[in-house]
Amino acid sequence: MALATPATGATSAAAVVRQQLTRRSTDVAGIVMLVTLLFTLLVTLAVLATLLGQVVSGARPAFAEVGVGDFLSRTIGSSPDTSGIFPGLYGSFFIGLGVILVAVPLGIGAAVYLEEYATNSWFNRFIQVNIRNLAGVPAVVYGVLGLLIFTEYLDVLTGGSTVIAAALTMAVLVLPIVIITSMEAIRAVPSGLRDAGYGVGASRWEVTRDHVLPYAAPGILTGTVLSIARALGEAAPLIILGAITGLLGDTSMRGAFTALPMLIFAWSGRSAPPGSETTWANSAAAAGLTLLVLVLFFNAAAIVLRNRFEKKRTGT
Amino acid sequence: MNSTSSKRRLLIGAMAASLVFAACGDDDPASDSTGGGEDPGTTAEGPGTTAAGPATTAAGTGTTAGGPGTTMGPDTTTGESTPTSGGAVELAGGEVFVSGSSTVEPISIRVGELAGEMSGGDLKVTVEGPGTGDGFAKFCAGETDISDASRPIDEEEIAACEESGIEYVELEVAIDGLTVATNPANEAITCLDIPGLYALFGPESEGFENWSDASELATEVGSAYAEDFPDAPLDISGPGEESGTYDTFVEFAIEGVAEEQGLPEEEWVTRADYSASANDNLIVQGIEGSESSLGWVGYAFYVNEQEAMKGIEIDAGEGCVAPTTETISDGTYPFSRSLYIYVNKAKAEENPAVASYVDLYLSEEGLATVAEAGYVDLPAERVTATQEAWAGR
Repeated sequence: MALATPATGATSAAAVVRQQLTRRSTDVAGIVMLVTLLFTLLVTLAVLATLLGQVVSGARPAFAEVGVGDFLSRTIGSSPDTSGIFPGLYGSFFIGLGVILVAVPLGIGAAVYLEEYATNSWFNRFIQVNIRNLAGVPAVVYGVLGLLIFTEYLDVLTGGSTVIAAALTMAVLVLPIVIITSMEAIRAVPSGLRDAGYGVGASRWEVTRDHVLPYAAPGILTGTVLSIARALGEAAPLIILGAITGLLGDTSMRGAFTALPMLIFAWSGRSAPPGSETTWANSAAAAGLTLLVLVLFFNAAAIVLRNRFEKKRTGT
Repeated sequence: MNSTSSKRRLLIGAMAASLVFAACGDDDPASDSTGGGEDPGTTAEGPGTTAAGPATTAAGTGTTAGGPGTTMGPDTTTGESTPTSGGAVELAGGEVFVSGSSTVEPISIRVGELAGEMSGGDLKVTVEGPGTGDGFAKFCAGETDISDASRPIDEEEIAACEESGIEYVELEVAIDGLTVATNPANEAITCLDIPGLYALFGPESEGFENWSDASELATEVGSAYAEDFPDAPLDISGPGEESGTYDTFVEFAIEGVAEEQGLPEEEWVTRADYSASANDNLIVQGIEGSESSLGWVGYAFYVNEQEAMKGIEIDAGEGCVAPTTETISDGTYPFSRSLYIYVNKAKAEENPAVASYVDLYLSEEGLATVAEAGYVDLPAERVTATQEAWAGR
């Protein structure tokens, strides 16, 4: 932009320069970029809103017909007008719990070892590459693994196709995700923190426990949230493990089981018996909404924890 | 920091608003949001549901439903209970595991619910429906008590059962029809014969994108309807290979002609280029979606969706027969099949719950669920035959 425009009339050169420097410049490229970015945001939001709208409007007839309380507390059955999702809630809850109890400690432990203790040998690098690859293995494959190991070889422990086997399979499925995100979080801890700890004579475990882990906790929790959400949403391994979608006479830890994604999958493809008020698609949407709330519940718990850790960190 | 948090608040607000709009937007008269609880007005809507509560005569242990696990509300549509005069069923407590055909599954589920209600939650029935073949694999390995089947057990499966020493009793419980359907707007087609279906669905029809493409093949295999095929796109939808309905269709419509055509047995299948789906609703959408569509579904499903589809009459040499409840139960409609349950004799012997469940299945209340599930009742003499087969196990 040329500043040296000749002054016309009575305006002084200084006034022209001032005007040119202070006037609103039209940054066309910047505006185009901004509009594009806003557009992408709007598209994303529109997709999300449509999805939620569909689920909510699909779920309303089911909740209205069965009643929210009954829908959550009844067992699955023959008609969408009377069917509930209690066994699915039960199964999904224990799958989430299983992931928290099994995958999270194991994953964090492995990450601490790999980041803090392991030497940089080719073998350790090989392990890390493999863990990354494992995170990309399709869920169905873990289903096959779970069927072989947890329902057959470890039959004594799990009791066959039970919620225990499902929870363990899901824990194995998300383990690589927990390890990788925890490793990233631990790696982001400034090395000065460790050096300071070693400098005052702390042992490696003391440094890890008192400095590295608290500092990395928010990142680790984010990974945990992601892994729980993944485990709660997966249906493929459950199909292989033999989750029930027909009728469950009993809901127990060591009996036949089902989970919410499995019910959503089965119900969305089922035709309602003649004379039903609602369709199975309504029940599937209602189960989907419930699953969403369950995932949000687990997420909210983790976010509260993360914020607490973050406050602690910035406070010290 | 301040501006980001206010933007975040805006975003959350937008999401919440969209939720609210979605919830309030479409006013569905059927779903009155006031119907929060068990609404006595809406529960008695099932076909032929007498408003009587759960059976009072039959259950020995008590009449209220709702043990800890089996929380079917009282008085739901499944509370089909015309009190029978003499045939009260004594139900033992215990667990029963039923697997097998997804076609028979709805009947077994209903009988299972009934068993739970009538026994006060003591008779716990678990039902799954992975398919007839998978069901028999489990059954012959002794993993299940009862196997649902949409076809009689085949020789390989008989051999597998014999090998593991499993003795069973075969019980016919219902009839299912298979309906070949098209879009109601497709006026050119009202009736087809089996060679005609072979020309449209068979392995040799692969690549035909227009009905008229199949005319030549239809004439060659001896169809009398080849001239009717319109000059319109041929959009086929049907169940996938894993479905029992697929097997039955191949058996009814493909196998005979394929054999005559000298094809090897592994090619007795349908064409591969059609939209296959395990989801019946998607099949209906496919048939609805094109004016010259073609597809096949189970009769129970067709009955529910009669406005969306036109059932094609079938000519198996004795004139065109439409798929109706009458033609299916008297056997004149060529594409109908019997549905069975197979009961493991040893398990029925040692576990009274299994015997109780089958007793209930074959009682008047039990067989009433067949029509509720959308299938066709067995004629009276075949019911008697089934009951005798069970009694004489």
